[in-house]
Amino acid sequence: MEIKTITTENIPTFFNNLVKSGKIVLAPVLKQSGKVFFEPVQSYDQVSTDYIQTAFSAKSVVFPKVEELFSYVRKDGDFTITSNLTDVPETVVWGLRPCDSSAFNYLTDFFLKENPDAYYKVRKEHTTLIAVSCAKADAACFCTSVGLTPGSTTGSDILLTVMGDVYYAEISTEKGKAVLDPTLFIDSPEKSKDEYLAKVETKFSMDQIKERIENAYESAEWKHESMGCFGCGACAFSCPTCTCFDIQDEGTTESGKRLRCWDACGLGPFTKHASGHNPRPNQTARRRQRLMHKFKYSVENLGVVSCVGCGRCIRVCPAHLNIFENILNVTKA
Amino acid sequence: MIGFKEALTKQPVPCFIENASEIEQLIYTKDCKNNLSVYLHKPEVKQAKKIGLLANIATLRALVQLISENQFWDIELTVITVNDKDEVLVFANMEEVEAYVQANFPDYTEEETKLLEYLESLSREERWKYWTDQFASCIKCYACHAVCPMCYCPQCTVECNQPQWIKLSAQTTGNLEWHTMRAMHLAGRCINCGECGRICPVGIPVHLLTVKMNQDLFKEFGTRSGFALKGDYALNNFKPEDKEGFIK
Amino acid sequence: MDKENQYLPYKMRIAKKTMEAPNIQTYRLEFADPTDAETFTFKAGQFAEYGVLGEGECTFCIASSHLRKGYIECTFRSTGRVTKALANCEENDLITLRGPFGNTFPIEDWYGKNVVFVTGGIALPPLRCVIQTLLDQREKFGDISIYYGAKSVEDLTYKEELKAWKERDDVNLFVTVDPGGETPEWDGLIGFVPTILEQNLPKSENAIAIIAGPPILIKMGMPILSKCGFPNDKIFTTLENRMKCGVGKCGHCTVGKTYVCKDGPVFTYEEVLEMPLEY
Repeated sequence: MEIKTITTENIPTFFNNLVKSGKIVLAPVLKQSGKVFFEPVQSYDQVSTDYIQTAFSAKSVVFPKVEELFSYVRKDGDFTITSNLTDVPETVVWGLRPCDSSAFNYLTDFFLKENPDAYYKVRKEHTTLIAVSCAKADAACFCTSVGLTPGSTTGSDILLTVMGDVYYAEISTEKGKAVLDPTLFIDSPEKSKDEYLAKVETKFSMDQIKERIENAYESAEWKHESMGCFGCGACAFSCPTCTCFDIQDEGTTESGKRLRCWDACGLGPFTKHASGHNPRPNQTARRRQRLMHKFKYSVENLGVVSCVGCGRCIRVCPAHLNIFENILNVTKA
Repeated sequence: MIGFKEALTKQPVPCFIENASEIEQLIYTKDCKNNLSVYLHKPEVKQAKKIGLLANIATLRALVQLISENQFWDIELTVITVNDKDEVLVFANMEEVEAYVQANFPDYTEEETKLLEYLESLSREERWKYWTDQFASCIKCYACHAVCPMCYCPQCTVECNQPQWIKLSAQTTGNLEWHTMRAMHLAGRCINCGECGRICPVGIPVHLLTVKMNQDLFKEFGTRSGFALKGDYALNNFKPEDKEGFIK
Repeated sequence: MDKENQYLPYKMRIAKKTMEAPNIQTYRLEFADPTDAETFTFKAGQFAEYGVLGEGECTFCIASSHLRKGYIECTFRSTGRVTKALANCEENDLITLRGPFGNTFPIEDWYGKNVVFVTGGIALPPLRCVIQTLLDQREKFGDISIYYGAKSVEDLTYKEELKAWKERDDVNLFVTVDPGGETPEWDGLIGFVPTILEQNLPKSENAIAIIAGPPILIKMGMPILSKCGFPNDKIFTTLENRMKCGVGKCGHCTVGKTYVCKDGPVFTYEEVLEMPLEY
């Protein structure tokens, strides 16, 4: 890990140089709706800095909401399939929170550890993550309950922490080193970030949850905890670690595309067989699946809880369902 | 009892009370915007048979509209509201709800009026660009469909795949198809609670499509949704005096 | 299929189309590219994603033995959009195939053992692969018993192959139709599969059982096998769930922590009992 600082004054120059270098730079932008989204920007003055969390995660950089797997053309009884993975642009994601950059570690494990996904692989290789630690948090944040902090460097290439008139930079990877401008960054001794970070109250003990969730499947509390759930996909789509997708062909018999698009286990038809049989026939079963997957099945399969405590699902849910409240209630002793 | 309680995050959230001891958690503030009538379609809720519902004014309109569409014949519903003098009113029957709704039939909010006026001031091409730009960022989460009390079809058109009427991928054309289809199915039925636009995770003001359609239907046919228990749905009945000036 | 990218399919030609039963057909598929035919290998139990460009893909087990080179076979019922589009294809048409995916029946562990198959209706195809593999190396196995039934005579799949198995003296074949499903010419058994199984109990000593079929068959048949003394880790089944990617990523087929596509579809009954009932 390399530690450097850059003056706050020089941040726009560093940022604008990244844009000038020809990379696509995604940064948080305040929209008319009042929500902040990651969008490609041309200069630092478009970047929003006064927000707690973006409405959506940055996972669409490596796992787009619609991805073309291949296109096809049929002619004279034959067909040709074309897949293009070579023109993925170099991309920098600026302003992720530490919870989001940690989510990228989960995504990499999920997509690449077993049966590596060619599309994720090439996109991740071309992505640099510059995270900014959290000076503020709100009631939906709970990163500290899942083993993270508002200043975690996990998953980021560079983590910037605002310390008054300098930004403290922790560079964890070669990719991070490669984008640094040596004229703007100077070496620094290690400093404590604590006074510059938000205080996020822990909502539960992860060890206790991991232990109690072993028997939570049969809990009678699931019905009550899922009563408010409408079965939309808002939580899954805004979540930085949700990876479920659908494969859809769009086109005619002559030509078209096979697409991969975001899907959500909360949607009714997610598990429905062509025969009409649905293994998760009600919203209780579907909501249970979401929580059990985040807090138990991911641990069993990949060794980590796949929730990073970003709180987006709570903020975006039309019924304000609260994942940490639900998990506490279904694992009550 | 379906009402609102304060969540750990301090926002009002829908709550479902099955024991009298839990009544203490009920709250009601102007931030209680959810249209709780949507839960009356949920099988887990309907199981209860006897249901109490704390309704805001938009929810009351929704109930009137849904009763006019023959919903809820299989449950015993008690409706409660809080008026703007903070008085709790318990309705004895749906006729009382209807009377209250008709006495308090609101205009559109200032924000909605402004945005509608802006959209009407645009040329057709500009308006098309406005909506295609908005729908380019739609993620097809179906939250708009999920919160809408009028969207109660057990199998939505979008779930039919023989043929796939509406494309599933979240690309502009398919998104437009989805929202246009939904607006057509809601024209004259939407009661303007504004929930779909309010909860859209991307911030698209989708409610304006149906608001505009309702305004047009009132202008052409004089019908209003959520107004009467014996509703008059313009798009599925025909009266000899209907104007036909649009046939050219 | 590209080894680097599991979403790019093989090109397959429909070499032969056989109607097995109403709405059930078997396709014999050959690789359009001969080098693919050389390199493609699979084992009994594995499945593939068969597709019609423009419509989508669907999942079926490979229903022929890997020891029979040059082709693979699949048998399916046309139920939904993709299976109907597949059923509308003709001989010589090209379709896509991705695979093989999933785990396999541990056939090498069964050398010298007796093997019992209990199945019904459209669940015979995934087991036919195993049966063919065993019969292709018959001397390696002990007794082979097959209990198979369908709603009616018309609904039996692999009618010709059933005749061939019946004529062999090294296969104990019990073919039955549901009461009311027989024709005047029917000379096989009449009764539900679990009933026939009960009336002709298999011996569990030095034996493996494989059971696959509709939920009712599993529900009624499994206790009979247990009663015969088959321990749960010697009873195998193949599970079905909604699938899309086939490689353990899209999330549609999960049952608890298990992905039916990559951790299955072959499971022992012991493993199935540990899963939540979400299949």
